[in-house]
Amino acid sequence: MELTLFFIVAAVAVAAAALMLISENAVHSALFLIVNFACIAFLFLMLHAPFLALVQITVYTGAIMVLFLFVIMLLGAERVQPEQTPRFSWMTPVAVILALAFLAVASTAIIQGDIELTTPRVADPQVRVANALSGAADGIDVYLNDERIAQDLDYRESTTFDAWDAGQYTIALYAAGADPEADEPLYQQPIELTTDDVLTLAAAGTMQEPLVVVAAEDMGPIDDEDGLRFVAINALPDRAAIDVARLTRGGERRVLIEGLSYGEASEAVDLQTGSHTIAVYPAGDSNTRLAEYEDVELDDQTAALWVFGYERRPDNSWRSEIVTFSAAMYPAFGGPHHVGELLFSRYLLPFEMVALVLLVAMIGAIVLTHEAREKRQRLVRRLANVPSPTVEQQAPGEAGK
Amino acid sequence: MGTPEVAIELYVLLSAILFVLGAMGVLLRRNAILIFMSIELMLNAANLALAAFARQWGNGDGQLVVFFVMTVAAAEVAVGLALIVTIFRTRQSIDIDTLHMFKD
Repeated sequence: MELTLFFIVAAVAVAAAALMLISENAVHSALFLIVNFACIAFLFLMLHAPFLALVQITVYTGAIMVLFLFVIMLLGAERVQPEQTPRFSWMTPVAVILALAFLAVASTAIIQGDIELTTPRVADPQVRVANALSGAADGIDVYLNDERIAQDLDYRESTTFDAWDAGQYTIALYAAGADPEADEPLYQQPIELTTDDVLTLAAAGTMQEPLVVVAAEDMGPIDDEDGLRFVAINALPDRAAIDVARLTRGGERRVLIEGLSYGEASEAVDLQTGSHTIAVYPAGDSNTRLAEYEDVELDDQTAALWVFGYERRPDNSWRSEIVTFSAAMYPAFGGPHHVGELLFSRYLLPFEMVALVLLVAMIGAIVLTHEAREKRQRLVRRLANVPSPTVEQQAPGEAGK
Repeated sequence: MGTPEVAIELYVLLSAILFVLGAMGVLLRRNAILIFMSIELMLNAANLALAAFARQWGNGDGQLVVFFVMTVAAAEVAVGLALIVTIFRTRQSIDIDTLHMFKD
């Protein structure tokens, strides 16, 4: 389907370019070029570049081509006067031969060149720390190997994602302000970071029984505009597997995750935005409700992380808690958001330089056309000042009358 | 974003064809405005290849380059058309075969 569409659009684009080349009238050429540009905008859409497609249409087919048409009409230069003999009569065959030779070489290179189609893109693993560890008064410090990744992280707070090198690490939790050289960690465990991972290291449990759950997040774009994605972590004290369900207003029960065992993170699940009532049950048992959370507010286009944890009361009973962390999704590839983000981060300097070039071009265009007009006015003025010889000859005669 | 259904070679091949058509326009036509439009066609062909490779590598940098090419092309068109207007005013023609200033 996509292939057929591509061939149709490509055929139209090539035909329009060829017609632009051969039409005698410059206005027709400009119109064919507009068709060609529209085709390229369509191909941009197929190449996941919606922003470029729209810029192509507004800037190229809109602004630039209107400028061309305007100049053609202004100058009345639809056709160049047919000259008797072209000055370079040998030019036509040589140009055609050279162009075809270039096309042959380029196509051979493209077809034989074996453009790699399978190389995946490689991204460093992204890691953040979330604190769902209840009972730590001043928060926690988290170390990956010997490097501190979070300092004084309060309950219900998380760090932002940071890129790390892939490899084996040991994650260690300390009470805030502890010295990793001297003090014993509250908890430690080895983790492995591989490329393309987006991981949240969630500290959960209580100070007496801490644990770290590694949750793999999926930050890819969600198709549904009002959608969000969440990952649930089971850190309930029963240490049993749970089912997570959403309760609708009618009291109906929609199971979101089944059989999530203790200390594990679920797969990413897509959900509609809104206020939800979330209930947790023991796995396979829909009658006993372990916990219920009303009105869990969730924003659209975010990746949420739910930690089902608990707080230990002084009398050793416990009260369940849901701790949510959310992060903005990665913008969709090629969308305005993605392009804008790149433009204002890595490409800020080129962007400003291009803006400067545009400004200089604008001034240049004004200066060029303005000077020409001034010169002509000077010429007209000079012609007006030169006394006409006929007038000068007649003047004495008239005076003599 | 899975693997593209249309092979990237096809896009690059189309871009090469359009580029050659544009180059032939520059070499064969005598109308200065048409030569200009052919240059625009060549720029667009290059843009298409850049966007195709950006898609191929899942990398936004190629698209940013396309964006910059577009802005520079807009600047170039503004100056170029101003030049053409100026030349037309002084010589009453934009046939590039007659624009040999040093010969006669």
